[in-house]
Amino acid sequence: MGLLHASLLSTFEDAQLVALCDKSALMTRVCRSIFSSTGVVVVNNLERFSGLALDAVYITTPISSHFFIVKDLYTRGIVRNIFTEKTLASNYNQAKEMSEIAKKIGGITMVGYMKRFSVVFRKAKELLAEGNLGEPLSFNAYAYSSDFLELTKDSKSFASRGGALKDIGCHIIDLALWLFGDVKIVDVISSYKIGDSETSVSFTAANSNGLAGRFDISQRMPNYRMPEFGCSVECPKGKLDVNDDRLRLTFGDGTQKIWYRHDLQDNVRFSLGETEYYRENQEFVNSIIENRTCEPNFDTALKVDYIIDQVRQGAAKV
Amino acid sequence: MNVEMHKLLLVGDNPFHGISHLSQERARSRGEAIVSSADQAANVVLTSLKNGADGFSFSVSELTLSILRTLRERKSIDQVSLYAMVPYAFEYVRVATQIGTPGLVKRFAKQVALTGNVRAILEGLWSAVRTDPEGLMNTYLAYELSRIRSSAGKQAKLVSVLLNEVIADMGVALNFDWLFKSFIRYLSKRGITPGFNTRNFPYFVNKFNEWGINLDETLIVTPFNKAGFQMNPSKEECEKTLKSLSRQNVLAISVLAAGYFKPSVAVDYLASLENLKGVITGVSNEQQAHETFKLFKEKLP
Repeated sequence: MGLLHASLLSTFEDAQLVALCDKSALMTRVCRSIFSSTGVVVVNNLERFSGLALDAVYITTPISSHFFIVKDLYTRGIVRNIFTEKTLASNYNQAKEMSEIAKKIGGITMVGYMKRFSVVFRKAKELLAEGNLGEPLSFNAYAYSSDFLELTKDSKSFASRGGALKDIGCHIIDLALWLFGDVKIVDVISSYKIGDSETSVSFTAANSNGLAGRFDISQRMPNYRMPEFGCSVECPKGKLDVNDDRLRLTFGDGTQKIWYRHDLQDNVRFSLGETEYYRENQEFVNSIIENRTCEPNFDTALKVDYIIDQVRQGAAKV
Repeated sequence: MNVEMHKLLLVGDNPFHGISHLSQERARSRGEAIVSSADQAANVVLTSLKNGADGFSFSVSELTLSILRTLRERKSIDQVSLYAMVPYAFEYVRVATQIGTPGLVKRFAKQVALTGNVRAILEGLWSAVRTDPEGLMNTYLAYELSRIRSSAGKQAKLVSVLLNEVIADMGVALNFDWLFKSFIRYLSKRGITPGFNTRNFPYFVNKFNEWGINLDETLIVTPFNKAGFQMNPSKEECEKTLKSLSRQNVLAISVLAAGYFKPSVAVDYLASLENLKGVITGVSNEQQAHETFKLFKEKLP
């Protein structure tokens, strides 16, 4: 992820890639070698970012390190503006502390919930906000991958992904919060763990207006070559189905309207991975230049960590 | 502008891997109906050739290597011009997910050692000691070439090796001109046309011009379709860049916009493009192979 963000930022007219940090001695050597002609400084200790007058730092390390790196950057006064990959922290308490420090420092923050920048999910939000289908009654949200379909025992690489909730579930939780506003956990229906991490979990949620939701998250679903995220929303005048690739509206009389990415002007100035990564980086950079709040920021993202903690507590009782 | 006699038509491998860029839903439902073995995939490739395709474009994976072995066993490999894409990023990411990056590196080193290519092994070790990225890339290319040759045999015509879009696009973004120069040097020395897959065609061409790298002796594989899908930054900019090239060396992909258009609709747009060298398109079964390549051959002279 570090190279992906570094690549995209390098194509921006208003941004310059200045330095990289990796604590691994081998990676530092490799990066020094491949970046030798570019002028990019490569270090293996955050302290060495001091004095570089950095406008922003991206943190793309394992989740368990986010809290310590953010604190270190703020404490040493290295930078005010921070982007961190999802999830914000390992747990809600850490996320809350990070958000409070960021508020004190007063810089721009962002957390890498890039699905918000997908043209199909944006169109879904726009249609729900227009209200032509009526106020949503219920939703079913999912995040599926086949990444650990064949896994039978715990492994270091599996554990490093933080479990299904932190790895893929957080994206659909963030999307649900973005689309419907705050929700509370009602019940954890099922949870399957290998070692200390869940590989699948299902739970229900609701908001104060009576909206009822269900989340199904699994890293063990067959035939999901790539992770997929989606949500079906029942409304009084029809149904909205959205996933990474398309948005479908089904009206009460059975007629349908479908939009694919092709129909929603999905082009960007430079595409790498998915086009949403470019838009996400653009939003962060523009927020810094214009000195305005960026979304999703630390304060927004800590709600996802809160829900994950609640689900894990509920799962422990299942 | 240099006008060549007829468009190069290649059959692609995405449907064999269960990939649809239109939707994963579609890929899953299609996966049950399409080819499920190297034998069936080889039939699709051969039917495509009978109906006008000139070659097979594929990412180097265990599945596509088994298709090459099948074509070789059927003594048909010499009929197929091969265009290989490396690395098959999905496979490497999947392995890294399951056994971690250090595990992936160990597995890769073991596989290089198993090829028995002593020169590649020694070069790889020496490059690792010196942390020499160019040497490591050469070792990697030697490994992929040995995989293709051991599957396809000596009679196979390996026309081009193309760099995967993620690596190529990262390389241009990060100003890694050394990566492209050494890739071109390594393959050209061996009589193989170096190629690049990109989703940022105008940016890519501008960078090569800025670096002074001659694109004439390379191939560029990039999306061209009526919807402008995956044509960044815009359909108009991509068309303008295509026109500006001094030589026909662009192969269009995503020509059906991942199934959004029928071949009969897609082909009119492709025929309107000046300076296109050819087209790569995937087909899921023999009937589609027959219909699509017959149509493309007829409409894309």
